[in-house]
Amino acid sequence: MSLNVSTSSGLQRLTVQLAPLLIVCALVFALPVLLNNDFLLNKVARYLVLGILTVSLGLSWGFGGILNLGQAMSFGLGSYAMAMALKLKTVPVHTGADGLPDFMVWNNVTSLPWFWEPFRSLTFAVAAGMVVPALVAAALGWFMFRGRVTGVYVSIITLATMVVLNLVIIDQQSYTGGFNGITDLAQLEIFGVAFDAYGRATYYLVSGCVMLSLLVAFAFTRSRAGLIVQAIRDHESRVRYFGYDVALYQIFVFALSAAIAGLAGMLYTVVMEFASPTFLGVQLSLSVVVWCAVGGRQSLVGAFLGAVLVAGVQGALSESAAFLETWTLVMGALFVLVVLFLPKGFAGLAQAVWRWIVQRRHVAGQEVTPGVSQTEGST
Amino acid sequence: MDQFIEQIITGLSIGSILLLVAMGLSIIYGSMGIINLAHGEFVMLGAYAAWMFHTYLGLGLLASLVPIFLVVAAFGWVIERYVLSLLNNRPLDTILATWGVGIMLQQAVRLMVGSELRYVQLPPALSDSMDVFGQSVSSYRVFLFVVAMALFAATWLLMNRTTVGMKLRAIIQDRSVAASFGINAKRVYALTFAYGAGLAGLAGALVSPLKSVSPDMGTGYVVDAFMVVVLGGVQSLAGTVASAFVLGELSGAIAFLQNDTVAKAIVLLAIVVLIRFRPEGLFTARVRA
Repeated sequence: MSLNVSTSSGLQRLTVQLAPLLIVCALVFALPVLLNNDFLLNKVARYLVLGILTVSLGLSWGFGGILNLGQAMSFGLGSYAMAMALKLKTVPVHTGADGLPDFMVWNNVTSLPWFWEPFRSLTFAVAAGMVVPALVAAALGWFMFRGRVTGVYVSIITLATMVVLNLVIIDQQSYTGGFNGITDLAQLEIFGVAFDAYGRATYYLVSGCVMLSLLVAFAFTRSRAGLIVQAIRDHESRVRYFGYDVALYQIFVFALSAAIAGLAGMLYTVVMEFASPTFLGVQLSLSVVVWCAVGGRQSLVGAFLGAVLVAGVQGALSESAAFLETWTLVMGALFVLVVLFLPKGFAGLAQAVWRWIVQRRHVAGQEVTPGVSQTEGST
Repeated sequence: MDQFIEQIITGLSIGSILLLVAMGLSIIYGSMGIINLAHGEFVMLGAYAAWMFHTYLGLGLLASLVPIFLVVAAFGWVIERYVLSLLNNRPLDTILATWGVGIMLQQAVRLMVGSELRYVQLPPALSDSMDVFGQSVSSYRVFLFVVAMALFAATWLLMNRTTVGMKLRAIIQDRSVAASFGINAKRVYALTFAYGAGLAGLAGALVSPLKSVSPDMGTGYVVDAFMVVVLGGVQSLAGTVASAFVLGELSGAIAFLQNDTVAKAIVLLAIVVLIRFRPEGLFTARVRA
């Protein structure tokens, strides 16, 4: 990870690490040219959003060593923020006086609750969709990491917190839509561009966010803070003895990861046209962990592709129940095998193969400089 | 007063089911450090075994308890031997691996027996009710309480009064020293895991007449069982018992005052706070670190 070997080799390594990321982004942007089917594009956009969510988990788990089993909580918060704003913009057919959402009318709520009020502004909602998850994560992180809670206990606390929020949302039906979630939403409209779930605009919005979050995550892992976070993952007490405030760095990566997950949640509402308590359910949250592990938890591109491909195949097979059930069985087996034999996922495998090829070339060309082995790139 | 006693008894009943499910988990987690997310699936396997023994062999629930224990324990042994023993020193990864195993077990059952609900009959001898402190209580629930306490006693004896238990306690203290004294740690671990799995299977069989049997029935149990183990403290069997009944009474009481959802949320929150301030559990004395 030494950046100051020489400028040219540093730059070269940066290019090598960025290349897969940029190639994947280019493919994502180019897809509508090849795939002229709005229905399928909507599905792909959905998997891309899940990819962003998985990248956010990779950031805290793969790089920070924080196995957050409640990653879907941030996702759900983002999703509800967007849904609340879009609900208040619906054409008032079923709505009550002053645009009161329909489910509130059914539940005999007479005026808009105070925490819904600011969501009349879309700008506020978009900001809240990322800031609220980040703040919640920072508070939870402060609570956990200041008390030096580590390992398994972090997983239990994050999972339990998510379940509590899920229960509260389902229970408070008159304010949250309860079990049904928030449905029947208006279209998102920014600067006069309407984002129809089945339109190209939405697809490109999602693609842009894919690229943005991959780049932000990549920049973070290359930054000083990012390196310290990785050092904490590998040897927490050693970093502490160096005088770093370990908890602060952990809280930061935890909150950053939550903000990206919140962004993914907002996009998910736009693509799916509703928000539901299942978006912060245990099922989704654990699926994200699987995607991340299979793709490669220490590789941003790997985690992204893991989610898109696995969720994509699952979606394609879901037409037939028998296929889907067999697939789930295969998926469980694949997951166990990856955990046992490929702790770095398929991205780790790809990196190993790549290194092997490069080394073979060097040996063949007789230009091996002894002692200089390629350090592994963590793109 | 009557209502109070009724509440206490409801709590005891919830508690004994919690204890049945959590005991196997507690042993596996406490002695091997493995977070076994497939535990719920062992419970499910036990319930299905009860259903199958009844449907295909005509065995009653009580008669099939021993075979059920052995069958599920065999599953546990295989999983420890071929999956978990490869994950030494990677405790976080055992969460993932056992979860994957859980998915496979669940799917395999769904593919083989179908996902419709199955029902197991109450043993005829226990289907009436009896009088406890002036309250009429179903005999089966009293039976569950007795069995839970008996299994706890058996497990305690096994851990503290047998050679295998002594070996296990030696390994927990220091695996390499124990191994250098000729203890086969791998074998003891496999047996421990099998025993924990067997207990889960028994729990599943025993609760099956009270609830319907389905492939995903285990998921709910594993979360509750975890809370019991965390509250009771790792490596403390008595703590598990105490916390099972505390949680049972607590959820019974809150559910009576508020509703089930609120009860669950409050219990979960209490446990989150507890982990932060007392990660060693409520019922463990602080011994040396």
